[in-house]
Parts: sequence; structure tokens; C-alpha cells
Amino acid sequence: MNSVLALLRKDFLNFRRNKAAVSLTFAVPFLMIWLFGWIFGVNRKDSGPNGIPFAVVDASGNPAAAALIAALRGEKAFRVITDHPSTTPKRPLVVADLRPLMEAPGAPFRFALVLPADLVSNSGIGLRLKFLSNPRNEIETQTVNGLLQKTIFSSVPELLGQSLQANTKKFLGDKRLTEFNRGIATAVTSAFGGDADEMERRMAAADFGFGALKQQRDPALRRLDAPPANPQQDSKIENPKSTTADVFNQLVKIDTEQVVGAKVKSPQATSLVGGWAIQFLLFAVSASAASLFRERDAGIFQRLLAAPVTRAHILWAKFFYGVALGLVQLVVLFVASSWLYGIEVLPHLPLLALVCVFAAATCTSFGMLIASVTTSPEAASGLSTFLIMMMSAIGGAWFPISLMPLAVQQFSKLTLVYWSMEGFSAVLWAGQSLTQILPILGILGGITAGVLSLAIWRFNRGKIFE
Amino acid sequence: MLQIRSLTKRYGALTALDGISLDIAPGEFFGLLGPNGAGKSTLMSLVTGLRAPDAGSIALKGELLTGSSSAARLSLGLVPQHVALYPELTALENLSIFGELYGLRGADLRSRIDAALEAVQLSDRSRDPVKTFSGGMQRRLNLVAALLHRPKLLLCDEPTVGVDPQSRNAIFEYLERLNREGLTIIYSTHYMEEATRLCSRIGIIDHGKLPALGTLDELLTRLPFEEEIRFAATPATTPFAAQLGAHGELATADGAHRFRPRAGFRLSAFYALTEAHALPPHIFTQQRPTLEAVFLHLTGRNLRDA
Repeated sequence: MNSVLALLRKDFLNFRRNKAAVSLTFAVPFLMIWLFGWIFGVNRKDSGPNGIPFAVVDASGNPAAAALIAALRGEKAFRVITDHPSTTPKRPLVVADLRPLMEAPGAPFRFALVLPADLVSNSGIGLRLKFLSNPRNEIETQTVNGLLQKTIFSSVPELLGQSLQANTKKFLGDKRLTEFNRGIATAVTSAFGGDADEMERRMAAADFGFGALKQQRDPALRRLDAPPANPQQDSKIENPKSTTADVFNQLVKIDTEQVVGAKVKSPQATSLVGGWAIQFLLFAVSASAASLFRERDAGIFQRLLAAPVTRAHILWAKFFYGVALGLVQLVVLFVASSWLYGIEVLPHLPLLALVCVFAAATCTSFGMLIASVTTSPEAASGLSTFLIMMMSAIGGAWFPISLMPLAVQQFSKLTLVYWSMEGFSAVLWAGQSLTQILPILGILGGITAGVLSLAIWRFNRGKIFE
Repeated sequence: MLQIRSLTKRYGALTALDGISLDIAPGEFFGLLGPNGAGKSTLMSLVTGLRAPDAGSIALKGELLTGSSSAARLSLGLVPQHVALYPELTALENLSIFGELYGLRGADLRSRIDAALEAVQLSDRSRDPVKTFSGGMQRRLNLVAALLHRPKLLLCDEPTVGVDPQSRNAIFEYLERLNREGLTIIYSTHYMEEATRLCSRIGIIDHGKLPALGTLDELLTRLPFEEEIRFAATPATTPFAAQLGAHGELATADGAHRFRPRAGFRLSAFYALTEAHALPPHIFTQQRPTLEAVFLHLTGRNLRDA
């Protein structure tokens, strides 16, 4: 027993003296819990989806459409865009703008709603809308679908009344419609009481009291937030299954059009694999950069630097090794995904390889920066694990960025995970050309240059070569 | 061959090298003897360019060594204190990589590798990973990895630490052969036996300074005595040793007393003391002093205790 106690004491003493182990056990988990809570807005009022760019084009000219747009604006999940994002002076978006903007690299929005000229039809009872999407991220797409339906159906009663009035007017004409409304109002108030003039005015304004249905249908409409079985392949947004909701389902026709990625054979895997790839790559190249410590501890740098070899030679060799390793790892992972999940890799192989080179370079520079600011392989491993998880979360490798608070979303585009995933998505999902992906490659190259410069500066000031 | 002038290196408040000046002649086997932390490895690292001095200069064959003097580095070979090899790679792969760093390629490189492995009896293990080698084999490979490019000056930074006697002897013989063939060697060690056996000239280094420099005979003349007297440290000799100490330096280590008489001390006085303590003559041995005695005399400390 004494032996066990002595050995136990030894372990605690060793642990207490190992700063890296102590921080990894206590400080890092605490920090991660706090940061992940911050990232996903835990216990905050603005938790849930936030600020998803959502374009709305109102081609109906119908005053009631403004109510629908206002309702969309009131939904915090959406950042409603009604003006063209890049014209000066600003002008309202038109239907013809939507597809080019959604297909462009770094598209300003991936979802759009068109309120067409025949929003309120006079050829039948009901509404007609058009929904355009680039469902690159399944979770985000499902969220948008659900929230969009909820918002639309909240505004339907008023629009529906207008539809009824318009349809009746088509068959009866203005004069006879007025007489019809007057007759109905008089008959109803004679039988049940009430003010016939007020009822006629409300009927003319298409207010048939459908608003009361909002209260009844709320529980059912919450189910609209549930994801459709396969949103990418749906031609209609799925409607609620309750009786009340079925009424709206019959009355509201939402035509959907997938603008980008419609021909992608394995959409779910294609949208996910980029996030997986970049995380594996980060772990691999960080471990590779940490090998600098092993070489230092073995005295190999002393031998190398006694030869006609400079520190720059050592660092460049390590960088190119990381890039080559990353490139091979990414290509293997994508080819494996092609085999396992049917992702179409071969048609995009040249451009995919190019993005892989840039992503590998960025990740390698990150690994070298970690090695340059730490003093031991243990510290490098702890710090890189922490940062990789942070960047993966903030960069959108786990969940859509739109699920994070707006403040956190500002940091997403500062992460190499975000831009690497953008690159993979641009090639595999959107099938973009070399010219189209150049901006993303430029950003990855810029991140590489900046981070690598910082790492080299730190290496030259540090003691790893001494 | 190598000229070192007023070389100084500080690490914060610690002065690792304090204005050292030194000339190494071509073909010399120079020993740098000092305890751990004396400044030996720092001096090596400055010569190889791993670190930059705070003051002073180093010139190799008249050319100042700076961080970018890659041409001069082609004349240098370093045997590091650690086994600076890639353990997962084979002996052949390790030597191939280190040879390529010096611009060696193809058949020339291969023939040099074969010769090097032959010289240290590792030819039959050339395709085995270094991690499977014994400590002595790794040390031998560590040595020849510094020689592939045929340097003019070889720096050996305590190359036999942790080596078994057989491998140590093999390393000594190989270095002596290289020196006979004209290679200039600077050999740092804290083993006086190594410096005594190998080096034609020795510099004693302590606390970043070189308090003594010369051949073994020249260093021994720094002592105020020519012989030292040894006797066992036992209860019977303790009172005798206490009295003897008043006449010179008395050091006790490994169960033995070593007495180095002060100048003018007469042998008759020694015999009178032995008779007074009834100690028989056969327990005393007389021998030539070693570098240990020189180090003790110059620094006031034993080499092994420093």
C-alpha cells in the first residue's frame, strides 16, 4: 500500500510540475467551454440562427407584399436584402439579378424569395411565390425553409383575402362585387347582428378575419421548422400536415429553384467533406511542424547549421514538406470520399488540387506558427488542438455560421477554415472556374504569407535553433 | 587554422565565455578540458555558427566566420554532443542526407559513405534503422556523419558521453588515425583521461575562461610539485592526513588521499610524520600528477566536482 501511495504521490508531483498538463487539464477545457458557449450563443437572447443573407424581390406591386417583407425583416434569422449589393447608386434588386449574384464567387446571398407579378392571382384562389436557393449547407437550408414558411404563413391571411377579392372581381366586375359585398354584409348582420357598413368595408379591404387562424395554427406551424426530407431535391417546400395548415398548403404555392449545385450527385457529402478535410489537415500539419522540437532536442539543428544550411533552409524545407503532405492527404481524402459517397472529384481534379495546395500551404503556415510560439511538443499539441477546434467551430466546419451570434460571425472570415471550405465548395459544389476561384486562392495565399512571415519572425527571435 | 580573439558570449546575466583567445594550428589535436557548464559547448556553437558571439571574432584559415559564411563551413565538421541522427532512417539514409547537405551526389557520395561505414565497422548494418543500433554504434555513426565532406577542421563536442569502453576505444583510434592523416581536431571533454591520451595541446576551460593552455608537460610545470603521494583514506590515516595537509594540497576522493607538497617541503619531514603515526611505507605510492591536479591547482576545485 505504501508503494502505491508513494507512486501516486509521484504522479501528482509530476503533474503539478508539468505546466502544459495542468493547463490542458483545467485551463484549456474551461476556456473551451466558455468560448464554445460564446460561439453558439448559449444562454443568450440572440442564440439560434442570425443574419442569414436573404434576398427579396417584390415584382408584385401589391401593397400587402410590403407586410410580408416587413415580416421577413422582423425575423432575426434573416438579413433581408432588397437592393443590389454592388451598384452605385443603389437600386432595388430585380429578378434577373438573382441568379448571377447567387452563382458568383463569394455570393452575397444564397437564398432569395420572389414575390411575382401574379403574387395574388385572379385566376384562382391562392398565392404564388418563388424561392431560389443555393443549399450548400443542409442545416442552414433547412433552417431557412422552416423560417420562411413560418413567416409566409403568418402573412398569408391578409394576402389570401386579397386573392379572394381579386378572383371575385374578375368574375363579377367592380360594381357587382360592391353589391355582392353589400348583400353579404347586410344578410350577415341582419341574422347575427353587427354593423353592416363596417363589415362591408372590411370585406372590401379583404379582411375576412383569417387573422384569427394565426392563433390556431401556431402549434402546427412550428412543425414547418422541421427539415424537409431532402431539401436539395424538393421542388416544393413541404407544408404542414395539420388540417389548418393543409388549408394554407392548398392556397400558397411556393415554387422552388435550386440555383447552384443542382447537378451535384452527392450533395450532403459534398457539402460536408470540405470541413472534415480541413480539420484532418490541420491536425496532420501541426504534428509535422511539432517535429521541429524533436530535431532540436536531438541536436540535429546543431549539425545542420554547422553545414552550409541556414535557418531559412530548415524552415522552408519544413514548409514544403507540410504542403506536400497536406496535398497528398487532401487528395486521398477526396478520392476516398468519391469512392465511399459518390462525390464527383475527377471532373474537378485539377482545380481541386490547386485549392488543396493553397489550403495545405495555409494550414502548414499555421502549424509552423504554433511551433514558433511554443517551447515544447506538448505545448504545441495543446495549443494547436485548442485553436483547430476553435477555428473549425467559428469557421463553419461543424455548424453553419448563421447559427452563431452576429458578433461571432464577424470572426468567421478571419479563419483559414472558412476560406479553405469556401475553396472546396466553390470547386466541388458550385463547379466554378479557375477565374472564379482566384479571389479565394488569393485570400488563402495572403493568409499563408502573413502567418508564415510571423512564424519565421518568431523562429528567428526564439531559441529553437539554439 | 583557427584564430579566436577575445570571444565573449553572455546568456542574460551569465557570462558563458569571457574574452577567450586561442590559436589552433593545422594538424593539431587540441583538447578543451573543463567541467559541465564551463563553456565548452558554447565555444563549439560559436565556431559552428549556431550562435553569434557578443564580442570577439573567429577566423578559419584567415576568413572570418559569420552566420552566412557557408564557404568556410565546408571546411568544418561537427560531431555534436547528442547523437544527432534521424533514428527512423537507416545508417545509409542518414549519411546520404548529411552528405547531400555538403553538395555530395551520386557515386562520389556513395563511395564516401561506404568508406565511412567501413571505417567504423558498420557496413553490415548500413540498411538498418539507426534506432536499432547500440549507443556505441550510434556514436560511431554520429562521428562519421561529420566527416563525409572531408573537413579540414573537426569539432568534437564530448563525442563519447555514454559510450561503452570498446566503442570509445574504437572512436579514439579512428580520431587518432584521422589526425595522423592531417585532420585538425578540437576535442572537448570533461574526462582528463581522454584529453591526456588524445590531445597534443590542451586548454583548460572554467567559468568561460581559459586559465591554462599548453601541452600536457607544459601544464604540469604549472604545478608547484613534480610528484604526488597517494594513500588510502582509512581511520588509521586520518590524523596523519590532517597534519600532512598543512604542508601542501590534500585532496580526498574515491577512498584515497592525494597529497601535493608545497614547494620547499622536504621528504624527511614526510618520513618523520609517518613514523610519528606508525604508518608503514608500503601504503604510500608516489606518482606523476595528472590534469586533475592541474585543474585543482588552477581552479581550487576537482574536475569531477566542478
